[in-house]
Amino acid sequence: MEPIILTENLKKVYHVGKVDVPALRGVDLLVHEGEFVAIVGPSGCGKSTLLHILGGLTSPTSGKVLVDGNDFSKMTDADRTRFRRHKIGFVFQRFNLLPTLTARNNIEIAQHIQGNGYNPHRFEAVVEMLGIKDKLDYKPYALSGGEQQRVAIARAVICEPKILLADEPTGNLDTENSQVVLNMLRTLNRNFRQTIVMITHNPEAAAVADRTIRMRDGYILPD
Amino acid sequence: MILSNLLHRPIRTVVSILAIAIEVGMVLLVVGMTTGLLHDAARRVEGLGADIMVEPPGASFFFGLGWAPVPIKVADRLAQIPHVLAVTPVLFQSNTNVGSGVNVIWGIDPASFDRVTGGFVFLKGGMFSGPYDALVDDLYAKAHHVKVGMTISLLNHDFRVAGIVEHGKGSRLFIPMATAQDLASAHDKASIFFLKCTDPGYTDDVMKAVHQLAPQYQVISVREYMTLMTANNLPALDAFITALIAVAVIIGLLVIFLSMYTTITERTREIGILKSLGASKGFIMTIILREAAVLAAVGIVGGFLGALGAKRVILASFPTLSVDLSVEWAVWAALLALGGTMLGAFYPALRAAQLDPVDALAYE
Repeated sequence: MEPIILTENLKKVYHVGKVDVPALRGVDLLVHEGEFVAIVGPSGCGKSTLLHILGGLTSPTSGKVLVDGNDFSKMTDADRTRFRRHKIGFVFQRFNLLPTLTARNNIEIAQHIQGNGYNPHRFEAVVEMLGIKDKLDYKPYALSGGEQQRVAIARAVICEPKILLADEPTGNLDTENSQVVLNMLRTLNRNFRQTIVMITHNPEAAAVADRTIRMRDGYILPD
Repeated sequence: MILSNLLHRPIRTVVSILAIAIEVGMVLLVVGMTTGLLHDAARRVEGLGADIMVEPPGASFFFGLGWAPVPIKVADRLAQIPHVLAVTPVLFQSNTNVGSGVNVIWGIDPASFDRVTGGFVFLKGGMFSGPYDALVDDLYAKAHHVKVGMTISLLNHDFRVAGIVEHGKGSRLFIPMATAQDLASAHDKASIFFLKCTDPGYTDDVMKAVHQLAPQYQVISVREYMTLMTANNLPALDAFITALIAVAVIIGLLVIFLSMYTTITERTREIGILKSLGASKGFIMTIILREAAVLAAVGIVGGFLGALGAKRVILASFPTLSVDLSVEWAVWAALLALGGTMLGAFYPALRAAQLDPVDALAYE
């Protein structure tokens, strides 16, 4: 099976004033299409940086990043943005919905940005699966955390991305809502073979994934 | 999304729209009042019905600003030129009494004035019956609450209002020629001569004849005078208008700049979200610029309505003023406001587009 994500000796160094802060010190990662991978590790171990690089939000300092056959280290910012638009979906810990828009508009804007226009069949299927049909006309402030995260997942998958990157998706949720969100991610992965890379602190959340990768100090720990 | 964003911060949106509306209204009113002043003066000269004006050398075509009286007997010589139907001399006097502003009073000879102009239309009262009688036009009477029989102070003398005439014949204030000459110590002098030809088609011929008769005098047809009464022919006025328009546009631009700059600072995280969804720099810039364009559009409409309202208030408060709101300048004001708004929003839009998505998403 072809890997959908491949990194080799991936390094990222942040420059804070005159100090260089290494966030990734040489990460080798392989994720196959349709896999559900959890990345766990303590704060500051480089998980979020890795996720941002895999999503094309930032470029690596050195090393190789192949995502769906595209080498991010050789792509311009505009190329990575275009790739992200069509191939990547993000789910964040803080939901990150646009506060001025309704749930419906928050989902639709992803389709608008992608440029393929509104697809009513896909829209209906996604909101049905995530159980947010009756919440579409509410703005984020009128939704519970669990509902907001389900809207965020709907927005992330509405354009059928190749990879769903989830940054602590249950970090702001109670146990019940965490379980709902994890079940939905699991369903997406199983029913639609959605590739998911999820960062989490929570071992129970990591347990729903096919595989767990542990990180520490900018490295991936051996199994 | 654009409307949602604008409605999310209603006060800032209203202030921005107000700034653009004031900018547009100010441009329209400044231009409208200056052109109105010029056009009103020109229309009143046109309303005389004369074809040609003859002035002494160095006279201003703003009546009353120049002071160069010439012998009144020139009128007799002008009257003898073929195809001249009538000639009337006028002596200008600037009235600067405190409380009534600056007015140009015309000293006229009623008989010749009537031959050239066809006579006044009296709304109340009648022609002078004494040396210290005055005529006022209806707009002056309305503005200063003047009635027939009242005494008004002109040139530091008391005049009885003999009649109120329909506006549009040269001046707003008229006194007898002899009185004007006495008060100016300009006996047998006049400031200008208005000529009426037997047919307007003879205007050029008569002008040539006047040039030959009195080459040192300024001779201008009323038709040409009308074309000269524009701000473009008054460099100081043109510069004044340009300066005021520039100030209005700069203020509008700065308000929009500040408004959009604070907008993108507040919405840094939202911009990060859009970027995480794959929004390009162009997409982000377009959103900001479209928001600014909506503000401009509403502000422009508000400016138009404001200018129309202000015109009504001005004309009600100051009947002698004239405000010409032209479609041409409405288009210019709209373009200036739109251009200024886009320019003011450009840097914030560019800055928003260039935000680092990771930093933006982490923004608190």
